[in-house]
Amino acid sequence: MATLRRLQEVPRHLLVCEKSNFGHDKSRHQHLVETQYHNYKVSFLIPECGILSKKLKSLVMENAPFYFVKNLPLYELISSEFINTFVKKGACCALTYNTSIDEDNTVALLPNGKLILSLDKDTYEETGLQGRPSRYSGRKVMKFIVTIDLMDLSLNLDSKSYKRAWWSFKEKKPLKFDFLLAWYPTGADESTMMSYFSNYQIQEHQPKLSLNLLTDLQCPVLQSHLLRGEPEVACSAQELFDWLGAVFSHVNFHYFDEPKLAPWISLCVQGFADSPVSWRENEHDFLKGGEHLYNFVIFNNRDYWLQMAVGASDDCPP
Amino acid sequence: MEELPGSPTTYERIVYKNPSEHHYMKVCLEFQERGVRLSAAQFKQLIISALKDLFGEVGAALPLDILTYEEKTLSAVLRICSSGLVRLWSSLTLLGSYQGRKCAFRVIQVSPFLLALSGNSRELMLD
Repeated sequence: MATLRRLQEVPRHLLVCEKSNFGHDKSRHQHLVETQYHNYKVSFLIPECGILSKKLKSLVMENAPFYFVKNLPLYELISSEFINTFVKKGACCALTYNTSIDEDNTVALLPNGKLILSLDKDTYEETGLQGRPSRYSGRKVMKFIVTIDLMDLSLNLDSKSYKRAWWSFKEKKPLKFDFLLAWYPTGADESTMMSYFSNYQIQEHQPKLSLNLLTDLQCPVLQSHLLRGEPEVACSAQELFDWLGAVFSHVNFHYFDEPKLAPWISLCVQGFADSPVSWRENEHDFLKGGEHLYNFVIFNNRDYWLQMAVGASDDCPP
Repeated sequence: MEELPGSPTTYERIVYKNPSEHHYMKVCLEFQERGVRLSAAQFKQLIISALKDLFGEVGAALPLDILTYEEKTLSAVLRICSSGLVRLWSSLTLLGSYQGRKCAFRVIQVSPFLLALSGNSRELMLD
């Protein structure tokens, strides 16, 4: 019986559906967008739209670049120069490239200046730094998380913590990774990542953009105040989420009988499966899929729905 | 309080735990030799026979759908009832040949959310 139960086990997953209005004082949309870092893909779906407006086209096409640096020693990210040039002067983000969070050492830098290291047991012990066991490591702890607050560290470069971190990354266990980096300066700063890391192999990249026109796509009727939907009247947020999956995966399901006017648009953001965090600093792991994504449905009266989906190795989205 | 359509909606939050009745798998069949072709029907039959080999008639009867199939790359998006995920995945893992030719299933992505399968950050190639 126990074997049969194990065969039918389903990894836990969560879907949070919220509704609100952008005009509400307590609306959390900005906070939720800003605290889901390291995103891989952003998709818009605009029903009843044959041609993109110029405004929307330029918004989508004018993207800040991201950078790819090879073999960057980790100590470079804790140097006072890096912290003062980038971390303190805007939102600086980094994630190790091509590292699997469930197998490899992974490092991420969050815009709030926190450096998160997800390390296997041996590497963790060799760094000599203080961390905590991963929540998703299983009975035998094989993974540790070290968090270094760069803002805090930079306040006193003579402190024991700064000297220890520097010694660890420069001498005791010099770690090097390929990194993806992004920086959004707050002021009109002249510094650039390309010149700062010119001694390393750094490349500038633009996000890839693709536009698809879907003809004869029958869209669901939604009513912004009916989050749970209503039979024969409007679809629920959960049903819409399933339908969007079919649309973006090019699966032909026959969902609806009659074409309907759809005065809403959807915006879906998918996080990197191998990011060590999802929403704020909640620990994230891959398990079977590593999914953490969210979707906005925006109505013409500024009402919105927000669906947030995570897998087993994630906290419930905030 | 009843909401009036047109006026700003009130805040509401629902947390669904394990809402998906299905799990979705993006898979690819790889053969040792080149040029092997399978139709969608043959592809499905191969998976059902893999389920049958490991789990018998009960396994073979699991509700399985091939949502998309690309014959050129032998890749597909499968849909399985969530309680059948472990059985399907283990059957695919243990499949070793088709009509005497060595092959293996590569599981590229799995999720209870089909929307998650529309992007795969592990496929990002910059070098």
